[in-house]
Amino acid sequence: MQVPIMPAKGEKFIIPIGPQHPALKEPGHFEFSVDGEVVTGASLRLGYVHRGIEKGTEGRNWVQTLYLLERICGICSHVHATAYCLGVERLAGVEAPPRAQAIRSLVAELERIHSHLLWLGVAAHEAGFDMLFMHSWRDREIVMNLLEGLTGNRVNYSANVLGGVKCDIDARQTDAILAGLEHLEDRTRHYLTVVTSDVMFLRRTRGIGVMTKDVAEKLGVVGPTARASGVARDVRLNAPYAAYDRYPVELITATAGDLEARFIVRVQELFETYRVIRAILADLPEGELTVRMPRRIKEGETISRVEAPRGELFYFIKSNGSDTAERVKVRTPTLPNMASVLTLAVGHQLADMPMILAGIDPCFSCNDRMIVVRDPAGRGAHWTWDDLREYGIEYYR
Amino acid sequence: MSAVFALVIFPGGVFILLAGMLYEWVDRKLVARFQNRVGPRWFQPLADTVKLLAKEEVVPDGVNAQLFVVLPVIALAGALTAVLYVPVFGLAPSFSFSGDLIVTIYMLSLLTLCMGLAGANTLNRFSLLGATRTLTQLFSYEAPFLLALLGPAIVAGSWRISTIADYAAGHWLILTQPIGFAVALIGLMGKLELPPFDAPEAETEIVAGALTEYSGRGLALFHLGKGVELVVGLTLVAAFYLGGVTNPLWFAVKTLALLVGLAGVQTLLTRLRIDQTVGLWWRYGALLVLVQFLALILWEGVIA
Amino acid sequence: MKLMTMWKDALESLVSSPATEKYPFQRLDAPDQLRSQLHWNLEKCTGCALCAKDCPADAIEIIVLDKKAKRFVFRYHIDRCTFCGQCVESCRQGCLQMANDEWELAALSKQGFDVYYGDDADVQSVLVGTTPPELEAAAD
Repeated sequence: MQVPIMPAKGEKFIIPIGPQHPALKEPGHFEFSVDGEVVTGASLRLGYVHRGIEKGTEGRNWVQTLYLLERICGICSHVHATAYCLGVERLAGVEAPPRAQAIRSLVAELERIHSHLLWLGVAAHEAGFDMLFMHSWRDREIVMNLLEGLTGNRVNYSANVLGGVKCDIDARQTDAILAGLEHLEDRTRHYLTVVTSDVMFLRRTRGIGVMTKDVAEKLGVVGPTARASGVARDVRLNAPYAAYDRYPVELITATAGDLEARFIVRVQELFETYRVIRAILADLPEGELTVRMPRRIKEGETISRVEAPRGELFYFIKSNGSDTAERVKVRTPTLPNMASVLTLAVGHQLADMPMILAGIDPCFSCNDRMIVVRDPAGRGAHWTWDDLREYGIEYYR
Repeated sequence: MSAVFALVIFPGGVFILLAGMLYEWVDRKLVARFQNRVGPRWFQPLADTVKLLAKEEVVPDGVNAQLFVVLPVIALAGALTAVLYVPVFGLAPSFSFSGDLIVTIYMLSLLTLCMGLAGANTLNRFSLLGATRTLTQLFSYEAPFLLALLGPAIVAGSWRISTIADYAAGHWLILTQPIGFAVALIGLMGKLELPPFDAPEAETEIVAGALTEYSGRGLALFHLGKGVELVVGLTLVAAFYLGGVTNPLWFAVKTLALLVGLAGVQTLLTRLRIDQTVGLWWRYGALLVLVQFLALILWEGVIA
Repeated sequence: MKLMTMWKDALESLVSSPATEKYPFQRLDAPDQLRSQLHWNLEKCTGCALCAKDCPADAIEIIVLDKKAKRFVFRYHIDRCTFCGQCVESCRQGCLQMANDEWELAALSKQGFDVYYGDDADVQSVLVGTTPPELEAAAD
């Protein structure tokens, strides 16, 4: 029999969370050293879902790359496609027609509803409040169906093409969306009461994981996580893209910086989203849906920023004049937010860890852009697409 | 011969195991319906048990193998023994002696204790943490739960379950001892580690808590034990506080009504952290039930 | 500060039917926009193969038997298709359409996943791997 190795005095007792753990919907590895139930240290390892997507873009033409990048995230796929399209259109010197831009914003906002409701459910589940989880996900089906009716798919909508959008919107769809929003607004109001007044739930959120404005700014936190700490940061406002200059968004911030504030900010953003969608539907410009795009994009480089449901999404695109991108670099909002988890973890109870982690709405597969591989075969530092593919297949065989 | 029958077939043994599964199903189905889901079909707990029993039991490295195998058996045996002293199915208890209330309560705690030991027996960190939480929670609800069940014993003037049940059949003690009723019911939820007291097996934190390393037969036995304990606990609360369970119909009606309440509480409350659970029990549960207990003693003293 | 704020939802859910869709037993109608199996129209195709070039999943092959006589075979791998609809967008002749009701495409064998569109004789020849006799004669 093996002798149990108990930590000696002063040694750390480490609770591993991940790569496989019920709290994580995607693989990531956290090590929390605990003293009883209190967390005294935290470390993180990412890269388990590195898929070589940036490398993958180098072997595809501009059009094919769009669909590859759309699959970076299963929840906020549309914003990835939008960021890429806006960047490539800028490089090519064309601009999508106003109606296409409005529809881009419309789908992005519908996607934000879907993402925020999904997050609400997941975060409630992490706190052990499955009632809210099940009901918010049931209501999320409404917006999923709206998206399916509008674009033709529940996820990975493929609404964008280079130079415009694929899907148009008619009166029947407008009515369906407005009716759906009506119901969702009712439900959202109810959820706002729940997350701000349910005494048992507040015990798990109020005063937990407090991030002050200073810390948030120092860590470069983005999106609703930053706005819950009072940082006024939203790309839709700071640098309007697509149709957001036509339909301005109002900033929702809170000052508390704790988990409750993140709940409030996200749920209140839903109301703002409903308002913007109604504004877009009420005043949709007429006209074409697409403009002609050249197959080869002239040489140059650009950056493109959009506000994903989780925060600022950043694209760097470089063209060498051929029909293939020379370099596409993606930075998803989870990366800057991840640092806040490690900072906030220390001093909290272990039971709060899943909540603090869920509080930033992490998306690991979006985030994993790099992996350190200790290569046993010594095949060198540069791997081709085929090498990566082969390695991936061999690894999981 | 009748003793063996009572132990193995009815009301102990096979019948109580099936009843445990039935109650587990009712609980799961109700929670699912509250959450607007479909929920499991009626034979799901039975199917789960059969499947688990048929599976290989993996004994992990670094555990005391005998203890690992025998703990689930002791847990289930404890729960089954408790059945014999309790008026399950509205029938008179199979066995009865003066002071069997205390024995029953300790038989019920045996399951929790075994789970704590089972968790502490393995090297798994989630199990260790789960075991710590299980035992911490045991110490927090055990005293209030005991006091809540002693309330009816005081007014009945006996520590024999059948005598208390006979007395309670004529008196709806929920009206005179509402705090005791609430504490007993909530204590039962703590005992069974049902939400919101499921911190010891909070899946988003410590996977399955103390039972993380258990699979196959051991897990099945622990689950069966919990099912039995659910029935026994509900029977005790119904018999003591809800005007007694003098025939099978009343038994079914009253225990199921309690189960609906339990399912509702499970659905509507958020999981408590372990420190919050302990705080809740000692700060409010124990204090309130003590106050009521004192009042009872004074009342009995004044009358007598 | 309230306790059990969702009690009303619980009671409503208890009396209403579950939200779960009983899929194989009850099929919901697909929306008009839904993208499912791709269909190809031989009449309009010019064989430019832009659809195959732009397909992100390499699901389309255009096999040109005779460009002048417009003898193409359209080989479509449903198992690779991601149903993004880019081919429909790319085709300038408008000869590609995506159906909206053929979405139950899962199968136990890979056999049916290769779909060939085109003239029957041409498809047969591609399947057998031979060129049709009259083309062979023309080549001679």
